[in-house]
Amino acid sequence: MNLEGQKIAIGKLLRADNSHFVAGCRVRELETPALGSLCKVDLGENLEVYGLITNIIINDDGLVRQMVSGVSIPSEYTADNRYNRNLPVEIHVLTVGYQSEGAIHHYLPPRPPLSLDVLYLCDDAQLVDFTAHGRFGYFRHILRMMDSPVEELLVCHLGQARAAHEAAGDTAWYPAACKELITLLRDDYVKLASVLNALAELE
Amino acid sequence: MELENKANTGNKPIGYVVGGGLEANLQVRLTVPAHQVQEGAFLVTDSGNWRFYGLVTDLQLGSTNARFADEQSEDRLPQPLANLLHGQTLFTNLAMMPALMMDRGPEPGSPGYMAWRELHPDSAAPIPVKTVPSHHAPVRLADAEDITELFGDENDPNNFRIGETREQGHPVCLDLEKFVKRSAGIFGTTGSGKSFLARMILAGLIQKNQASTLIFDMHNEYGPDSASSDDKKPVSGLKSKFGSKVRLVGLGRGTRFGDLNPDTTLEIAQTDLTPEDVLQLSQALNLKETSATTLDALYNSFHEAWFGEFMKMRAGAVVEDDEGKKVPAPDSVEAWAADAGVHPGAAAGLRSKLERINHRDYLVEAPASNGLRYIVEALKKGEHIVLSFGKFDNDLDYLMVTNLITRKIRDTWEEWTNAYHRDRKPGNEPRPLVVVVEEAHKLLNREMASQTIFSTIAREMRKYYVTLLIIDQRPSQIYDEVMSQLGTRVTGSLGDEDDINAVLSGLAGRQALRGMLAKLQPKEEVLLLGWGVLMPILVRSRRYDSRFWQEVLGENGKGKNVDDINRILGYQDDDTD
Repeated sequence: MNLEGQKIAIGKLLRADNSHFVAGCRVRELETPALGSLCKVDLGENLEVYGLITNIIINDDGLVRQMVSGVSIPSEYTADNRYNRNLPVEIHVLTVGYQSEGAIHHYLPPRPPLSLDVLYLCDDAQLVDFTAHGRFGYFRHILRMMDSPVEELLVCHLGQARAAHEAAGDTAWYPAACKELITLLRDDYVKLASVLNALAELE
Repeated sequence: MELENKANTGNKPIGYVVGGGLEANLQVRLTVPAHQVQEGAFLVTDSGNWRFYGLVTDLQLGSTNARFADEQSEDRLPQPLANLLHGQTLFTNLAMMPALMMDRGPEPGSPGYMAWRELHPDSAAPIPVKTVPSHHAPVRLADAEDITELFGDENDPNNFRIGETREQGHPVCLDLEKFVKRSAGIFGTTGSGKSFLARMILAGLIQKNQASTLIFDMHNEYGPDSASSDDKKPVSGLKSKFGSKVRLVGLGRGTRFGDLNPDTTLEIAQTDLTPEDVLQLSQALNLKETSATTLDALYNSFHEAWFGEFMKMRAGAVVEDDEGKKVPAPDSVEAWAADAGVHPGAAAGLRSKLERINHRDYLVEAPASNGLRYIVEALKKGEHIVLSFGKFDNDLDYLMVTNLITRKIRDTWEEWTNAYHRDRKPGNEPRPLVVVVEEAHKLLNREMASQTIFSTIAREMRKYYVTLLIIDQRPSQIYDEVMSQLGTRVTGSLGDEDDINAVLSGLAGRQALRGMLAKLQPKEEVLLLGWGVLMPILVRSRRYDSRFWQEVLGENGKGKNVDDINRILGYQDDDTD
């Protein structure tokens, strides 16, 4: 299985643990990553950690606070603050698996990425390869999230993955993914109903 | 997967075992739409070396969460998503009543097979279920091979196809040789098709030459051709199809079978009536306890002629003696009583009560022919008798005539069997005899069963090759002791709870079968139960029509003459009347 493809760097790691990591980037680098996108960090030694973007946070600083309370801000000041600010945009990533020696695994990596490792966005081929592996084992990481809107993340991720699979000629992936989600959530009516309502908007 | 490889591949799995037990039935999660399986369907599941056979006794809708069932998610979700949701959260469980299991051993050719074969040299036979299949064992509908395994091959000369499985139309046979070894019953409400079913089984018994049959035909249904009570279409009788192998006997002169004359008329000689026959009518005649003593005395005085002599006596007749004193006349009941040492009042009372019998037209002093002997001899030869009661349709007639005939039969077959056991002479084994009693509750209800010898036949006579086939719509009215002796029970739909309980009495799994019995489709479906079949099975019965007769008698059966039929049936030397 080859996950090598186009590498789009979208940030560098700020902090990490085995299940979660945060990368920082500049605002102008925000054009490509989106909520639910699959991304990866190359740890070297044939080890790549995969994750889904679960949140993108833009923090404030003292200057922004002052500017917000100002009466009128010229547009060039606003642009300058956005693109040349000192604080990075934070990209929060949920670890969903890793690749070692070319083999994909849907469980947590042996060690987290290190600070300043580069975060890359996966292309469609990588997305298809990772999501088609096994039987949707990486869903359990998503469904374990407590403090994020799981439904929205699933809709974003499944929408992107579905498009990639269908572009590759596989129309069975999306129904199979939905079926697996239903199986995993059928004992939690409230959560499943919420997920399905969100997924209904993809149709 | 090993199980799948070993599974009979005739039918694909319809589900898998998810729970249950022997008492509570197995729970099977359906993987096909519920409407593809119906109550009563015959199921097979393989687990390890064992194959289990059972019946669907219930189907229940379920959901992983009640709200998935409550809310119509198809209104809120896109159809594909709703379908996926329903597929994962809504389901149907069926209850499978396990009935039999069979050790099939390891797969032939596998390492353990030879060792197993040495331990089990005989071919495997099903046994009552004693364990359960494992979780997730695949369950499928029985195929033709399974049905043949349990209910026999249609081509076996002892087997008679009674119908087909409802789901896939596999032939279901009744082993007639086994069927006649114990008493049997055919039940069903009016209009359930039990008369047609009885005709078919009788046709099978006659065609397969398994037993002689004596049919007490209360409504002239079995011998002559008639018309269906529902659609007035012509219905073939046994006489027109089997010719001289079936003898029509009318009770008393003038009894006819529709347009047909009887082969003979049954008139009973008074000398054939024994005190025992009369005592069995005690209740119907309201006899007193003293009657037995009086009857004994009568028999001692007049032997076989006791009835005629007794009825010739005058009750209360007196004459004057030499002294002018009134004394009982010499031909009076009282004079005989004084002479025989019985109480005159008891004798006079008995004489009065026997008047009811004396007035029956069929009980005569000197019959033109010996009808009783004719019947017994015909049955011994392997022929079949249909006895019509004609105008004599009250309980007393039924009781007296059936008692007289069956007593005669009992005596003859007991003697025959004892002789056979004594000599073991080849070719002298008694011919099995089935006594068919229509409207059986009239003769076998709790009050009357004690007055007849039918309960004796049901209980004891199978050792003497005589069994009962009772046909009735109210099995709950039949004496428990008789019901408990029935080996095979073939039943159409029954509505009354007591009737259902009566038919299922003594059978394992009756609770599960109860609902099935109440929902049988009239004229279409019957349930086979009891000793004669390895396990209960719901059958779509054969139609009693021209096709049936063509199948039973061969392509030329339609319209063939009696001689042709006899030749086909192997009765070359038949003494056709």
